[in-house]
Amino acid sequence: MYGYEITQKVKDLTAGKIQLTEGALYPTLHALEADGILTTETEYIGKRVRKYYSLSSEGNKVSDEKVNEFADFINTMKFLLDIKTGIA
Amino acid sequence: MYTLSDTQIDFILDDIRRNGVELEDLQLNLLDHICCIIEQNLEDNGDFEQFYFSTRKMFYRHHLKEIEEETISLMTYKNYYMMKKIMMISGVVSVALMTMGIVLKFLHWPGAAVGIVLGVGVISLIFLPLLFLLKIKEQNQLKDKALTGLGTLSAICLTLGVLFKVMHWPGANMLSIIALAFLMCLYLPVYFFSGIRNPDTKTNTIVNSVLIITACGLILTLVRSPQGTRILEAQITSDYIMKDDLLKTEIALSRNNSLSDSVAVVAAGKKVFDLCEKMKEEIIQIETGKKTIDPNFNSEEQMIGITDFHQVVTDNPTAKSTYDALMNAVDDYNNKYANAGSSVHRLVLETANDRDFKSYDALTRIVMVQMFLLQNQRR
Repeated sequence: MYGYEITQKVKDLTAGKIQLTEGALYPTLHALEADGILTTETEYIGKRVRKYYSLSSEGNKVSDEKVNEFADFINTMKFLLDIKTGIA
Repeated sequence: MYTLSDTQIDFILDDIRRNGVELEDLQLNLLDHICCIIEQNLEDNGDFEQFYFSTRKMFYRHHLKEIEEETISLMTYKNYYMMKKIMMISGVVSVALMTMGIVLKFLHWPGAAVGIVLGVGVISLIFLPLLFLLKIKEQNQLKDKALTGLGTLSAICLTLGVLFKVMHWPGANMLSIIALAFLMCLYLPVYFFSGIRNPDTKTNTIVNSVLIITACGLILTLVRSPQGTRILEAQITSDYIMKDDLLKTEIALSRNNSLSDSVAVVAAGKKVFDLCEKMKEEIIQIETGKKTIDPNFNSEEQMIGITDFHQVVTDNPTAKSTYDALMNAVDDYNNKYANAGSSVHRLVLETANDRDFKSYDALTRIVMVQMFLLQNQRR
């Protein structure tokens, strides 16, 4: 996916609740690419160059780890907040 | 859907460049992104320029360059958390190594130097530089960054200076002087006067300044003043003259005694005695520039310095070969005298490797060897 496509996809999937800003998206994409987590392909459209980002094999592993970590965090928070609600 | 012309695309790319985005990759990404937004959202007959500028505004808070700064910062500090972790680990490791080294040093057990060198090395070359890098990331003003840099540099020089001093490595005094000069003359005044103006940092600044002055003061109390060194050197030199006078009396006394030793022992003894004289002459020559010490040395500044004997023999190959020859002659003498009875003094000469063995210690030891030698002959 290319940058603009990513922002639109996130917007659609979250029904507009999460809107990625360009100021956050591109620095992150460049850093992830430098880390070897993302691989890129470029397509020339007239005078424009479009860069498609995809997860590298290492990126897949990292992504799985991070998703699991996040799910774990959500579960913990849920548990924590349930108890809080219980007390209240 | 709006269709962009090549001129409009060039216009956007130029504008991105003009606004300080220099990374080509980022320029092209932003260009495609903006083009997509315009194509998707601008009516066919819409105002391109107005729409472009309002779109561009959504990309930043103050200026477009922010995206590039954030990109560079993310790429430079992608290891921010790793750096923090390494800093913590290096801190703990260095403290553990240093504690181990100091305990071993007090107990006079082997391995002390390894612990101290590694401990101080890790804190000076890993912990402090990482602390500096992480600290300046939190600071916005160039003045604060420069101050942190100066503080770190002084701290590194100070820790290395103390390490070099303990290990008897050259350059220790230079490092310590640079560290203390930086700390007291540059860092402290700037830190104090900039910190005291801000009510939030006033108390902390005063407390930290007092701590820095106290630490530097304590270090300086351990330093011998040039005047102190002069007094100590004068004492050492007059001590040596007195010992040499004692030796001269002993020599005069032995001349009146007939020698009871075998020819071989006498020859071995004479060799030791002559090499002792030669060695003393060489040490005095190195220390004072003259072959003998004038009894009025004080006025002529002709004094024996506080030099490591190890350094003397390392820097002077002649002195080293004389000392080696002397050690061999002493061994030879001791072997020849081995069966002569218990009343005979064994001659003992220190090897030059001990770092605390100074050149005046060597002189004293040589005079003692000569005295014992003469006493053995008078037995």
